[in-house]
Amino acid sequence: MFRGPDHNGISTETAWKKTWKESGPGKIWEAEVGIGFSSVSTADGRVFTLGNKGKKDTLFAFDAITGKQLWKHSYDSKLGAKFYEGGPGSTPTIDGDKVFILSRWGDLFCLNTKTGDIYWQRQLAEEEGLKLPDWGFNGSPLVAGNMLVLNAGGAGMAVNKNDGKTIWLSNEEEAGYSTPLPFMHDGNQYVALSSGNSFLAADLKTGKKSWEIQWPTRYGVNAADPIIAGNEVWIGSGYGKGQGLYTFEDSEAKVKWTNREMRSQQNSPVLIDDHLYGFDGDGGSRAPLKCIERSSGKVVWEADEFKYGSVAAAGGQLIIMTAQGELIIAPASPSGFQPSARSKVMDGKCWTVPVIANGLIYVRNSKGRLICLDVRS
Amino acid sequence: MKLTRFPIVQQHTRRSFMTKGLQAGLLYGIAPYVKAATPTKYRTALIGCGWWGMNILREAMAANRAKVVGLSDVYERPLLVSQDEVNQLTGDTPNIYKDYRELLKKEHPEIVIIATPDHWHALPCIDALKIGAHVYVEKPTSHTIDESRSMLHAAEAANRAVQVGLHRRIGPHHRSGMDFLRSGQVGKIGMVKMFVTGGGSGPESPSPHGKAPTGMDWDMWCGPAPLRPYCQKLTPGGWRNFLDYANGTLGDWGVHWLDQLLWWTEEKYPKNIYSTGGRPILGPAVFSNEKGSTTDAPDTQTVTYDFESFTAIWEHRKYGGSAQEKHRLGAYFYGTKGVFHMGWRDGWTFHPKDKSKQEIHEDPQFDNERDGHNITPLWKDFLDAADNGGSTVANMEVAHRSSVLPMLGMISYKLGRSIQWDGSSESFPQDSEAQALLRRNYRKPWSYPNV
Repeated sequence: MFRGPDHNGISTETAWKKTWKESGPGKIWEAEVGIGFSSVSTADGRVFTLGNKGKKDTLFAFDAITGKQLWKHSYDSKLGAKFYEGGPGSTPTIDGDKVFILSRWGDLFCLNTKTGDIYWQRQLAEEEGLKLPDWGFNGSPLVAGNMLVLNAGGAGMAVNKNDGKTIWLSNEEEAGYSTPLPFMHDGNQYVALSSGNSFLAADLKTGKKSWEIQWPTRYGVNAADPIIAGNEVWIGSGYGKGQGLYTFEDSEAKVKWTNREMRSQQNSPVLIDDHLYGFDGDGGSRAPLKCIERSSGKVVWEADEFKYGSVAAAGGQLIIMTAQGELIIAPASPSGFQPSARSKVMDGKCWTVPVIANGLIYVRNSKGRLICLDVRS
Repeated sequence: MKLTRFPIVQQHTRRSFMTKGLQAGLLYGIAPYVKAATPTKYRTALIGCGWWGMNILREAMAANRAKVVGLSDVYERPLLVSQDEVNQLTGDTPNIYKDYRELLKKEHPEIVIIATPDHWHALPCIDALKIGAHVYVEKPTSHTIDESRSMLHAAEAANRAVQVGLHRRIGPHHRSGMDFLRSGQVGKIGMVKMFVTGGGSGPESPSPHGKAPTGMDWDMWCGPAPLRPYCQKLTPGGWRNFLDYANGTLGDWGVHWLDQLLWWTEEKYPKNIYSTGGRPILGPAVFSNEKGSTTDAPDTQTVTYDFESFTAIWEHRKYGGSAQEKHRLGAYFYGTKGVFHMGWRDGWTFHPKDKSKQEIHEDPQFDNERDGHNITPLWKDFLDAADNGGSTVANMEVAHRSSVLPMLGMISYKLGRSIQWDGSSESFPQDSEAQALLRRNYRKPWSYPNV
């Protein structure tokens, strides 16, 4: 799923090539998937992503290694190009033989990963009367036990993953754009997610809101997933807002620090050894890559050359995709930014976080060019 | 070839402005401007806390002459976000208001910035002038012509500094380009074409009607304009293409280039205006409870303005851009010695008629590279006027005339025929149909300004 099985943007893979020849990593396959910012998810040799073309969203299933299209599923969906290219922003979520997708306008599907057959589908906005945020739903579905949790309704909602029936529902205000993040606290299961004005936690079983951090952000764009370590939660947003670290107890979150050193507009940083690595600023403007000490909020280093991008990690290495299409590998180290490899691998606008799986790196641009690069050792 | 910068010659209309101000001031019951001790920091308020409003307020804070005392917006979220940002930048925590009238009453601001949608310019501007504030108001001055005239009268009566956000009046390449135009090197100019081209595709699909976002006072947002059902196309920013609240591309982009036209010419207004256009690409405007709303501004529009000594043409199409085209927006001045183009990020360029002569070009210089504007000197010019009582480069008189041009285009567009304008009386003699469109009825309880 989005940000990987550990919900943190960090892959457990270690055996992959951290350097490549000047010509860049080898491209194994490529595909055109339509406009959008959906990342890929992969399991059992299949890769899934979403794109929009001709007023339809399409879910594609590809063979992870050959790129052969296995099946696809399309449904009517507006492009929704409101001040940007538009198209789906969420990433498919895989659970066993099921793949779940949520469209910007509230279409929720559960399909068979092998065949593309529909298990069930719903139109959440119409059926539940949910308010759509300005850019629609962009958080990816989260599977937790028998539940599918969605960032919708202002404080989340959960449906039964087997039949789609609503288990609990909030309908307070516009949702934020983060993907629900599961965490445990005092033996209870919770999910953390964003609304347009806050970050909050809800009891997984009941949806009961526990702590909530007021976090009004211009245009209600709280998009970056929170990062939880122990009983501390990091949150950050773009449009000049900044970042903060909060300590939470059952129903209360207390500020530890806030500042404007990491304004994560869409993608979260990755957290490695108490250091956050991510881009500070908005797409389309100067947005440096920064290393921030999580416990203090202080900037450790800053690579000033960038104009936005996204970061994943694997084996202690940062896998960086710049908005201009440069793929960079650099050790995740507070001692500085020292790339071991960098190549321009994509044209157009790249706001989607790269994914590494089985020695293959998947990157895409907003127009929908998806490429698979070989870093197998 | 890089052109040496011309010295800038400013044409102040201070004298006529002052005289009118005195007369109107006496009638209006407000004392004419008397230079008081210049405050170190002006008590400053912002009405309309969106992206652009905050861009201006940031300039005010950066100039270090503002104590931000109040913020107003009908939507809670931008209020809170802007309050937070002001606090971070200055240490002050301005009070926040959903109703600008309360702000004016309680905070007694000395400078008021107005960055609301067009339909919400006139009343706050006039109210702010009435309490003696200097006003910076966004372009175009208003939504209908008579509102703008009331704003002009209010400005003359109050005799305070007024700046309208026509930053292209002060941008370095605009000023040097204007001097070049006046130097005679383009020859005699018989035609000016202003244009914006390029954009998306169609047809446009409607967005459903629904509740306004939590914390947004939708009734107040619509204010004196018709109360439409909320749809997500309207905010943020999308209201520009709804004719209830603005005048589409002509009102937004058009006013900048039409302002350049009036800056260049010594004529003050056109005699005849004819506009045509429509929505061939976006398709017919949709407005129904079942389907929701599309925008309703034209995606295609031309306006011909007949002046005494030249013809001016506006053209926009929100599609059909070409990457090969050198200039995709701006103003062409066609002269006997060649073609002069005033642009934005492409600066200005003179293409001589004579093949043996070289093209002359000057790059732009922006104070804000990302948004490509020059609010910094425009704000400084405004402060100078507030400090010293002089006029501003985009004062209400100048900006009123420039803002009238797109509104005239829209009247012709709506009537589907040409209109004859008497600029000296600002009326359409013997044309009651056009005359009626100089104003519109305000929604209660708001009253159309009549200053």
